Amino acid sequence: MKQKIKILHIAFFLFGLILFIRFDKFIDFLELLFQYFLFFVYDFSGALSFLNFPLIDAIISIKLFVIIPICLYVFRRSSLLNKPVSFSIFVTIVLIFVFIFAPLLAEWHPDFQKDVTVTKFLPPLSKVNIIYLSSGESKPLSREEKFLLARDKAITKSFDDNLLFADSLSYNSKVVKYFQDGFSKEISTEKVVIFDGIPKIEQTIFWLGTDEFGRDVLARIIYGTRISLLVGIGSVIISLILGLGLGFLSGYSGGFTDTVLSRLTEMFLSFPIIFLVVMIIALFGNSLLAVIIVLGFSGWMSLFKIVKSEVASVKKKDFFLSARLIGLSGLRLLLRELLPVMTAPVLVNLVFQFGYVILAESTLSFLGLGTGTEYPSWGAMIQAGQQHITKAWWMIIFPGSVLIAALISANNIGRSLIKQINSR
Amino acid sequence: MKERSAGIVITKRIVSSFIVLFLLVSFIFILLRVSPGDPSQKFISPELSPELIKKISRSFNLDRPIIEQYISFIGNIFTGDFGISYNHRLPVLEVIIQYLPFTLLLAFLSFSLQLIFAITLNAAIYKRMNSYYDKLLSKLSITFFAVPTFVLGVLLIFLFSVQIDIFPSNGTRSIDFDSMNFVEKLWDYFIHLLLPLFTLSVGGASVFYKYLRDNIDEVYQKLFVVKLRSDGFTEKQIFWKHILPNSIMPLISVAGIELGFLLSGTLITEVIFGLPGMGRLTINSIFTRDYPLVVGCTFISGMLMIFSTLIADLIKIKIDKRLIKDLMN
Repeated sequence: MKQKIKILHIAFFLFGLILFIRFDKFIDFLELLFQYFLFFVYDFSGALSFLNFPLIDAIISIKLFVIIPICLYVFRRSSLLNKPVSFSIFVTIVLIFVFIFAPLLAEWHPDFQKDVTVTKFLPPLSKVNIIYLSSGESKPLSREEKFLLARDKAITKSFDDNLLFADSLSYNSKVVKYFQDGFSKEISTEKVVIFDGIPKIEQTIFWLGTDEFGRDVLARIIYGTRISLLVGIGSVIISLILGLGLGFLSGYSGGFTDTVLSRLTEMFLSFPIIFLVVMIIALFGNSLLAVIIVLGFSGWMSLFKIVKSEVASVKKKDFFLSARLIGLSGLRLLLRELLPVMTAPVLVNLVFQFGYVILAESTLSFLGLGTGTEYPSWGAMIQAGQQHITKAWWMIIFPGSVLIAALISANNIGRSLIKQINSR
Repeated sequence: MKERSAGIVITKRIVSSFIVLFLLVSFIFILLRVSPGDPSQKFISPELSPELIKKISRSFNLDRPIIEQYISFIGNIFTGDFGISYNHRLPVLEVIIQYLPFTLLLAFLSFSLQLIFAITLNAAIYKRMNSYYDKLLSKLSITFFAVPTFVLGVLLIFLFSVQIDIFPSNGTRSIDFDSMNFVEKLWDYFIHLLLPLFTLSVGGASVFYKYLRDNIDEVYQKLFVVKLRSDGFTEKQIFWKHILPNSIMPLISVAGIELGFLLSGTLITEVIFGLPGMGRLTINSIFTRDYPLVVGCTFISGMLMIFSTLIADLIKIKIDKRLIKDLMN
């Protein structure tokens, strides 16, 4: 029998890969978790006051990083995990991994900028020297300081004063001489972190290059994945609730409500949605929430049609009638009796809807109407890349190919789901 | 009897189109009123004195009840009075009329290109159904369908304008356009429009190709094809005279939907390639907060889309009378 690569194998492979590449970071995160736990026990209110999004994010991702492999091992016999892997499923798994473990994976903060003259427009795989400056602080004593040290080590920041990027450098016992964009500069060794008697200087690699502000393209793609998937999930949930609710209402009650809702849906279907989306975002201002809501509200129509026709066909079946005669409420009928029957067509629709939303979000970001400048987004990255198309091809190719891969996989998974349903 | 019912269906369809248009306008009105800020703030500079704002507010009828505002808004829009664009210092309709023909030309060219492309490819492939090439083309068409317009456009610019430098990346004419003779001018337009047209057409062409291929495959299984073969018609005759007309029918309903995609596609293509069309006008007006122009552009684009689907439906009814029954229900 031919052994096929299964989802389980890919998942464990990715865990191993992350552990191999980012082992230092993994240890830093574990230390952060430990220190935060100690700090939490020691000073409850003090620990709560440090709680912010990056910290929660880091803690959740490191916990999941430990919990998920265990879960995978426990459920290793389930049919979902033993499905053979195609290209689309592989891409999906990678995207999910990136979504959950973004803080572990990204070496830099997506907005990290320092010494732009050195770091801007670096091609992929280019190396840059980093000089570590000493912050002049003595060893940490209190729990709070220990925790803060662990936090600063683990969580990437958008700005760091203690780093210096340099093109090339030389040093003796007194000064470190370095070059930034052709200018020669000096810094005394007292200000530099000394490690084994020599200044601590490391070379860092920007795997996918940097953009016009010296930000790491790889880190931006990783966090952009988060935004894209977040918008996709949020909008799909809104569409799902609207489509299910209205479709059930229309199919179940029939009569006047049905006529009004069906007409309304037809109206919405023949509206030029993209123009309305653009106009709404222009009027109400663009933010992450606005994009999610607008895209969610613009995609419920096809789901409505599916749910309505399914409800209409199930309505006369015996099991549904008996459930109704027992006296189940409307919501219970929907969740217990109807949803299991129409899982397959709804799921297919949601997958396609997900792809559509990702496309719409990146298109809006490309036009400058997306999630704004505070979050990195694939579409916005490509738009920035188009302005520097003559000198920085990596700013377009990488986010573009990630976007294309995501869309193709959403499309393919939807189509293969349809095939499976039809073959049944 | 039959003719009368057809008439009723067609009038019903046209009336429903107008109702959708009416709803679109109402929706725009609601959006304008619900969005943060008074409409007068959107239409005048905030640095003006309060008395002047009050005066302008009165001249806009903003002190009247909301129903009256709504009626006058609808009246204004249907008489083509969208107000005056502040950037262009012209009535909105005049501005749009300057930009609209280009978008229509682009959409029309792209639409014909998509159809021609799909039909020629199918004509080339129909003899080799289920061969290696056929499968390859099907896979490619699905892939190209998933590639977003803007990524394709930027990649094409990167390949053909930056790396190889054979096509211009921006605008519709070269700098020395005025000194050219007629043939050179045409060539100049052609070379400028080639990349945008390709960007715009690839997605639609792949949809059409796949759809047509599956239809042709289905029609080939039918018995009348066997009958035609036994009567001694050549494969070429069968394909062009019988199979293609029969399989192109369902394509029309797809084409109606496709026209809508095309309009949003032109929006993006025009922005990427810097072409003087409606889409770029809309985006520019949004960024410069030119609200009368935004409303005008949205309305005109919506109208175009609604009427294109209407025309697609009417053509469908014209070709196949049986559809009237479906539309009746």
